[in-house]
Amino acid sequence: MFKFFKNIQIKRFVLFVALILPLSGFSADTENDPFESTNRNIFKFNNVLDDNFFKPVAKGWRKIPDIPRKPLSNLASTAQAPISLANALLQLNRESIGNILGKFLINMTFGLGGMFDIAGTQEFGSMPTVTEDFGQTLATWGVPDGPYVMLPIFGPSSVRDSVGLGIDTVFNPLSFAYRMNNIGLEARLSGPTVRGVTTREKYLDYVDEMKASSLDWYATMRSLYRQKRKKEISGELEESSSLLGLPIKSTEKTEQITDETEVSTEVSIEPEVSDEKPQKVAEIKVPSSNIKKMVKSSAKNDVGLMPSSNYPGARDTSSYAPRIYNGLMPSSTYPGFSGSRVNLIE
Amino acid sequence: MLKRFVLTFLLLTPTISLSDGLADKSKIFVENLGKEVVEKVSDVNISDNQRLQNFKKLYLSTFDNYYISRFVLGRYWRTIDKNIQKQFVKSFNKYIVATYAPKFKGWEGNFKATDSLFENNYYNVKMDIENKDGPTLKMMWKMYLNKNKEFKILDVNIDGVSMLVTQRAEFLSVIKNNPNGVKGLIAEMEKKSAGS
Repeated sequence: MFKFFKNIQIKRFVLFVALILPLSGFSADTENDPFESTNRNIFKFNNVLDDNFFKPVAKGWRKIPDIPRKPLSNLASTAQAPISLANALLQLNRESIGNILGKFLINMTFGLGGMFDIAGTQEFGSMPTVTEDFGQTLATWGVPDGPYVMLPIFGPSSVRDSVGLGIDTVFNPLSFAYRMNNIGLEARLSGPTVRGVTTREKYLDYVDEMKASSLDWYATMRSLYRQKRKKEISGELEESSSLLGLPIKSTEKTEQITDETEVSTEVSIEPEVSDEKPQKVAEIKVPSSNIKKMVKSSAKNDVGLMPSSNYPGARDTSSYAPRIYNGLMPSSTYPGFSGSRVNLIE
Repeated sequence: MLKRFVLTFLLLTPTISLSDGLADKSKIFVENLGKEVVEKVSDVNISDNQRLQNFKKLYLSTFDNYYISRFVLGRYWRTIDKNIQKQFVKSFNKYIVATYAPKFKGWEGNFKATDSLFENNYYNVKMDIENKDGPTLKMMWKMYLNKNKEFKILDVNIDGVSMLVTQRAEFLSVIKNNPNGVKGLIAEMEKKSAGS
């Protein structure tokens, strides 16, 4: 019986992999959103649902006094620890294992069964809440994210992360405990529901502001999701500089840039576009008083402010016209520029 | 062994001299910028038009708005002529000012630069923005020093999200879905700026 079950499972897994692999081929595309029109429709549906249900609920949640609101949020967060720990183990991520386990034990004991986030206080070193999911585990195993998908209710995701979400739901150790103890669906859903409401409440103001100023809210959300996910998985931030890829190749180009900069640094409320230059740049560059004064006086004695093209391992630019750095445009041709890893937040 | 040490020392020395002192100055730079924002943009006693003008001055003098404009347009930058490029830069600056200036109205809080790392010719300054009525926001400013020894900000990163990358993704999508391409985007930005 077990063998038969196992065979079925393996067949399903192979079929799934066969289906997923071709999709991952889309990753070369920057947007990687082949289902965009369907996704946009689901996004519209989610927005309606959000405006009429999740947002009012989140607003109501915000109005609840700190107690019981915070203990309930903490309980829901603590309930996520077993699945996070399981994924941290699968990823062999020692740092996450220590963090999740440590926080779980501290909060379960001193935090009265997870109701208070004692581990997050300064006395316990302000331990951050680390969550690991199966999507992240798949990523560490080398599975590409695949096309972007918009899930009904759950929101932005990718093919890989959607699979991860399903596996996390089915194999969550808590789910087994619930089933073994005949605990009903309502109780099982309480954790994810509270977590969802808490997250929505956290972003209540930001989402409204971003939505109001966005020209394409769907594209903004897609980008936000991708960047956030990249940071969660690899700790890397999206390198804006690495995407530019437009080296300054000639003096002619440099002149154009000076010209444009003059235009763009115009201070009046309606900037004039002018083809004449220099003096104006010098005048206008003066930022608001204090900043300019401070920077100029302090930077006086510093030397070698801009990168050298002799940087070890620099790209061979001998075929290019003389390259002049005018201080206005950072070049992306420096080797470390695109490869830099910036992980300063958290 | 000695040779290696000397070589390592020689290689490292320029980096040390570059970063020495300037990292602290980069922190002071963003903190001062924060103070100026509070003084000149957040003030509820100034008119909305004055707020826009003050914000615009600060933005244009401290951000490398040309680089930013070019970046957010991505591959389309090269496909448009110089006049449209100029028009785009102008509209984009207007859009940024109209979008962000009103958000600071009445804002109260502190800007505290916590660290600055000089890496690959750029300064990455970490900052905590302590909202008076809200959670502390973790930010990172990416900037460089131009030939006039003035810091210019290239990007703002909030909790792992680059504002520049997000803006670019949004604009590219608008261009792709708009039959008028970049001109359509400019029109959309103008409309949004006028409505703000």
